[in-house]
Amino acid sequence: MGFLDNSGDIILDAVLTEAGRRRMAQGSFRIVKFALGDDEIDYSLYNKNHPSGSAYYDLEILQTPIFEAFTQVNAGINYGLLSTTATDLLYLPSIKTNEKSQMASKTLAIRSSGSSGLFLLTDSSNDTSTTSISSVLDTDSIESIDGFAPQTAVLVETGLDTGVGQIPAGSDSNRQSLLVSNGLIDNKLIISYDSRFISGIKGLDSQSSVANNATSNQINASLSLTDGTRTSINSGLENYNTVNVVGIKNSIAQTTSPNTEADFSSISGPRGVMAAVAPVIKQGLDAEYSLYGGTSTVGATAVKFIDTTIYVQGSTSNTQLQIPFRILKLS
Amino acid sequence: MAITSYERLDTTNDITTTRTLLHESIPLTGTIVSGTYGTFPDDNNIKNYTHEQFQSVYDYPFLSSSANHIYDLSIGFDEASPMSGSVSIVQESKKINMYNQMSQVLLGYTGSANDVRKFEIDTTLDGSGIMRESLFINFARLITKDQIKKGTVTVTLGTGSWATPFALTRTLTDASASATEGTANTLGGDYGVLYDSDSDNLAYGVVFYQAGLIALSTASFGTITDFFSNSAGTSSVLNTFVSSSITASTDAFRHRVQNVSFNNTTEINSSIYFCRVPHNKYNHSANPTYLSSSTIRVKSVNSDQPISYITTIGLYSSDNELLAVAKLSEPLRKDPTNELTLRVRLDY
Repeated sequence: MGFLDNSGDIILDAVLTEAGRRRMAQGSFRIVKFALGDDEIDYSLYNKNHPSGSAYYDLEILQTPIFEAFTQVNAGINYGLLSTTATDLLYLPSIKTNEKSQMASKTLAIRSSGSSGLFLLTDSSNDTSTTSISSVLDTDSIESIDGFAPQTAVLVETGLDTGVGQIPAGSDSNRQSLLVSNGLIDNKLIISYDSRFISGIKGLDSQSSVANNATSNQINASLSLTDGTRTSINSGLENYNTVNVVGIKNSIAQTTSPNTEADFSSISGPRGVMAAVAPVIKQGLDAEYSLYGGTSTVGATAVKFIDTTIYVQGSTSNTQLQIPFRILKLS
Repeated sequence: MAITSYERLDTTNDITTTRTLLHESIPLTGTIVSGTYGTFPDDNNIKNYTHEQFQSVYDYPFLSSSANHIYDLSIGFDEASPMSGSVSIVQESKKINMYNQMSQVLLGYTGSANDVRKFEIDTTLDGSGIMRESLFINFARLITKDQIKKGTVTVTLGTGSWATPFALTRTLTDASASATEGTANTLGGDYGVLYDSDSDNLAYGVVFYQAGLIALSTASFGTITDFFSNSAGTSSVLNTFVSSSITASTDAFRHRVQNVSFNNTTEINSSIYFCRVPHNKYNHSANPTYLSSSTIRVKSVNSDQPISYITTIGLYSSDNELLAVAKLSEPLRKDPTNELTLRVRLDY
């Protein structure tokens, strides 16, 4: 994968992807739309304080070398430019996992395992009458999701994560004016998962609700899981399938006396939606542990594991998040 | 990851097709067929076969994976040739078969008896100027590509003695042929006539442009008596046809090939997609670096213009499958003050 010669006129280097060639062979090659990408660009190089003036703000960005086109589908456009027509946006939503301890203790949320940042899924297929993978993890106070029948989940939130004490504050009015009015609410989230290890994703039921409006502004959550809706959306990743899960209104907001928003939300600012990701692992995973995974120990117990990444994407804002999961079972 | 922002292409105004002809100059010097790789006639870039119907010329010793096939050489004569039926003729049936194979594919059959047509050194195929004995150069598709460009063929043959074949030369060209005139159309495509423009302006062969084949008359070598020489002595071109194998005859032939050159033609059909980017769209990005604490990095206040930088254009099917990717050589700034048309060409 070389760089393109950028010493002269702007040129376009176009290639058919693997899918394009396959479609050619099948006689179904038909291009009907296009999208634009900027994967190589690092916008942090945009220097609004350049001493030579505004003409130099994007000097480094414009000097970014561009890779040659390559043919793998998943290497085309990973993020993409947005077709939103608004020009007065200053903020766009971010997406984060919610690992607040109070959410973990009072709702179905789990937190990642220690410093690894991995969320754990248990595969009980090697459990015995005396030992189970869940009990091994519980002994070490490690939170996990039951891989075959999830009752807990990783919570994700979207919103304007502008920082504690920064503007705009996480009020409901700011949610309305900065997110809802600008069409930046992700009522659905697209979840892409590796179908070799995971058979589906459970998300929040549309009747679920969350707010910090209980007594003393404590959490008032009613969260339950349901199967995500399988979609034909092509993630561009080999072996990956996609489902849609519901994004419920995130009514955790700035409160007074006390302000508890930071106790329950990882977004510091106006919040958009909350969603859950609870993977259901495939039955009969066995050889996959040696093919794609490895062995380790939890405490003194030997375990097998497979690491996999689940991608979460806002269907409207296109904001994206990668969540690393580890599937664990007793050796 | 899944892209959610697409722009539809108008199939009437945004997609068009073009056809372009590309030409490359192909100079094939005579040294490559004689003496460059090994000692004549056992050159390492010349491949002979047990069937002995033709020999292949490569641009490098043919056992190397780097070698490219350039052309094949063969000879043949029509069964009505005077030499047909000669006493003790070598490989008679193979020589007749080679002639007939070339002529039936390129010229087809004629008459109520379905006789195979004969090569003629004119463009009329009227039975006059029949070339009953021929030397064939079959070019590999690798170098002729889609066809030989008309009016560009030059063949220089050595007509001197066996010892110094290039002391005298004859240069044949198809200069009278062009894309619009000077050729005849047959089953095997168009052919033009190779003339010796230097001296007598007579025709000595034909070139089939699409098939990539040159058929030369034995008259190309005039009346030289030592067209071929070996331990048994020397022989004229016609005697070589009678008394030598096809392999030995083609050895003698390539000993006298000084130069072959032509321009090839590659036909490129292209689809051009005009990707029109409106002024009010694609000014924001989902690139993770676009935001810092959810704030758009390229803006300080709401009223600042959003800016994005295009590096890639993805072309998609109706079910969002990425079929082609085009990359810009440098980032292209996009903001609400400009509207872009990116012209993406796919060649087939």
